[in-house]
Amino acid sequence: MINCYLGIDVGSVSTNVVLMNDDKEIIGKVYTSTQGKPIDAIKRGLKEIKAQVRDEIKVKGVGTTGSGRHLASMIVGGDVVKNEITAHGIAALNFVKGVKTIFEIGGQDSKIILLRDGIISDFAMNTVCAAGTGSFLDRQASRIGIEIQEFGELALKSKNTVRIAGRCAVFAESDMIHKQQLGHNQEDIIKGLCDALVRNFLNNLGKGKEILGPIVFQGGVAANAGIKKSFEEALKQEIYVPPHHNVMGAIGCCLLAQEKAEKKNTTQFKGFDIVNSGYQVKGFECEDCSNLCEVVEIMRDGQLMARWGDKCCKWSDKVKDDIEKLA
Amino acid sequence: MSVKIGIPRGLWFYDYFPLWKTFYEALGAEVIVSDITNKAILNQGVKNTVDEACLPVKIFNGHVLALKDKVDYIFVPKIMSVYEKEYICPKFCGLPEMVKHSIANLPPMIDIEINFNKSRKSLIKTIYLFGSYVTKNPIRIRTAYLKALEEYNKYKEAMKAGYIPIDGYLQKDQSKLNIKPKTRIAAIGHSYQLFDSYGSMSLIKKLQKENIEVVIPESLNMKSINNLASSLEKKMFWSYGRKTLGTALHYTKNKDIDGIVYISSFGCGIDSVIEDIFERWARKSNIPFLLLTVDEHTGEAGINTRLEAFIDMIDWRLNNEGNLSTHG
Repeated sequence: MINCYLGIDVGSVSTNVVLMNDDKEIIGKVYTSTQGKPIDAIKRGLKEIKAQVRDEIKVKGVGTTGSGRHLASMIVGGDVVKNEITAHGIAALNFVKGVKTIFEIGGQDSKIILLRDGIISDFAMNTVCAAGTGSFLDRQASRIGIEIQEFGELALKSKNTVRIAGRCAVFAESDMIHKQQLGHNQEDIIKGLCDALVRNFLNNLGKGKEILGPIVFQGGVAANAGIKKSFEEALKQEIYVPPHHNVMGAIGCCLLAQEKAEKKNTTQFKGFDIVNSGYQVKGFECEDCSNLCEVVEIMRDGQLMARWGDKCCKWSDKVKDDIEKLA
Repeated sequence: MSVKIGIPRGLWFYDYFPLWKTFYEALGAEVIVSDITNKAILNQGVKNTVDEACLPVKIFNGHVLALKDKVDYIFVPKIMSVYEKEYICPKFCGLPEMVKHSIANLPPMIDIEINFNKSRKSLIKTIYLFGSYVTKNPIRIRTAYLKALEEYNKYKEAMKAGYIPIDGYLQKDQSKLNIKPKTRIAAIGHSYQLFDSYGSMSLIKKLQKENIEVVIPESLNMKSINNLASSLEKKMFWSYGRKTLGTALHYTKNKDIDGIVYISSFGCGIDSVIEDIFERWARKSNIPFLLLTVDEHTGEAGINTRLEAFIDMIDWRLNNEGNLSTHG
C-alpha cells in the first residue's frame, strides 16, 4: 500500500490530475482537456489516473486549484482548495532549487510570480488582454491549419522574423493575416507571433518588476519551444521548463495536501468510485431581488450536493437543510 | 405636499450624501435615494450610457433611471471643482449634460454648478441656488446648510474613527471585536468604486471576512494628506488624484500597513496615471501591492483568485513558515 496525495487543477482549457507519493515523486499524471465540461473532465482524469497506477494506493489528502477549484473540491472531496498562484509557486519552489521568477501561461490566464528567499514576494496576472494565452495560440494554429504541437518547432525554423502586433488578440490576428497575404513564410509569421506574445507578456505582467534568474516557465504553453526561445532571446538568459511543466498547479496541490495531512491525519476524499456517479447541474435565476443571481445546483445521482452563485448566500446557506430534508 | 428630491446612489454620493440629505430634509423636502447598486441598475446603466464612459458613470446612470418616475427633481449637481486650483474628473464636470443626453423624459434636474476653482466666494450663492428648489427663504436655507454641515462633519469624523460607508451605510467591522486581525490592508480607490459593494465586487467585505483590518483613505488625517500631496514635484490638479497620491505618500512613509489593494475601473483616465505612480512607490517601499481592474463583468472568480493569492503572499511574508490556510 502506497500513501499518496491527489492534486487536481481544473483550468479553462485543461484539467490536470496528479498523484504524488510520500517522497514527493509523481507516480501518475493526466492532462486532459476541459472542453467546457469540468465535471466530465474531472471524472475522466480520475479514471485515467487510477488506470495508470498498478500498485494499491491510499489517498491521504486531496488538493484542488484552478478556476474550477471549488467545483472539483466539492465533487472529489478536497482537503485543500487553493488559488492557482500559490499552487504554482509552491510547486516550482519544490522542484527547482532557488527559483526566483516563474512564468506561467495557461489557457486563459498568464501569470508572473516573483520569489525571493523561498517565498512569493510579488505576482501579476494578465489584466484585460488575452493575447498572451494558450487559447489564443490554439486558435491561431487551427486558423493556419497546423497542429498546436508543431507550432513551436515551426517557429524554431524561422530565419527572418516578421513583426506582429501583440497587445490585443484581435489586432494580432489581423496583423498576421496581412503579413500572410504579403507572402511571408509561415514559420516567420509564427516566430513573429511568439515574439509578440512574449513582448506582450513582459510589458503587461513584467512591468516594473525585477526579473531575475533562475526563471521557470510552466503551464501548458511551456511545451511550445518557440515561446521558450522568444523568452530566452528577450531576456538573454536560459529559461528552465520543468519536466511536469503542464501539471505544476496540480503538483502544488499535492504538496499542500501532504502538508495538511501531516498536521491532520484525515481526508475528505470520496474515493475513486465517484467516477461511476452521475452528476447533473441545474441552474435557476433567483428572482427575489433585482440582482437576479444565477444560482447553480450540483446534484449527484439525483441528490443535491451543493449550491452557489447567489450574492446574498441565502441559497447556498440553505443547502445543508435542504439535503437533510431530501434525505 | 413636500417636494420629492431623488439622490442617485453613485459617484460623489459616498463623499457628500449626509450633507445633501440633511440639507434638503431640513428644508422640508422628501429625499429619496436609489437602491443599493444591483444587477438591474447596472444593466440599465450600461444600456443607457455611451460605451466609452467608465463603469461608475454607467452605474450612476442606472441609479438616475431607477429614480426617474419616483421624484420631482433629480439631484445631479455639476461639480467642477471643490478645492482651489483643482478640478474633479472631467466626467463629473459634464455629468448633468451626459445624463440629460443619455436618458429621455427625465424630471427636472438640480444641476447647479459647484465651482470653487478660483475661490470659495460663491459658496453662499451656490447654497442658495441649491435651496431655491424648495424655498426662496435665504434664512431657512442658511439654517439648513449649517445643520447639514454638522452632519457632514460627523460623517467625516466617523470615517476617521474606523467606520466604512459601505453602500452609504457607516459600518464598523464586527469581526474585529472578538479576534485580533491578522493583517492590516489599505483598500484604495475612488470612493464611488470602493464603497459600492456591487461595483467593487464586495472587496472590503471579502477582506474583512479573512480577518483583515481594512483601512480606507478617508480614515487618514486629510491635513497631513494634503501636506504630503503638496510635496509632489508637480501639483496634482485632479482632486481625487491628489487625495490618492497623498495617501500613497502617507503609507509609504509610515509603513503601518501590510499591503495595499487598489481597485480601479477599466478606462479611468486619472487612475491610468495615479495607479502607476502608486504602484511604483509601494514597490520601492517594499509594500505588497495588488491592482484590481474591474469592468462590467459579474464573474468574481478573477478577483477572488487574485485576492486569495495576495492574502496568502502577505501571510507567507509575515510568518515565513509556510503555514498557509487550507482554503483560499
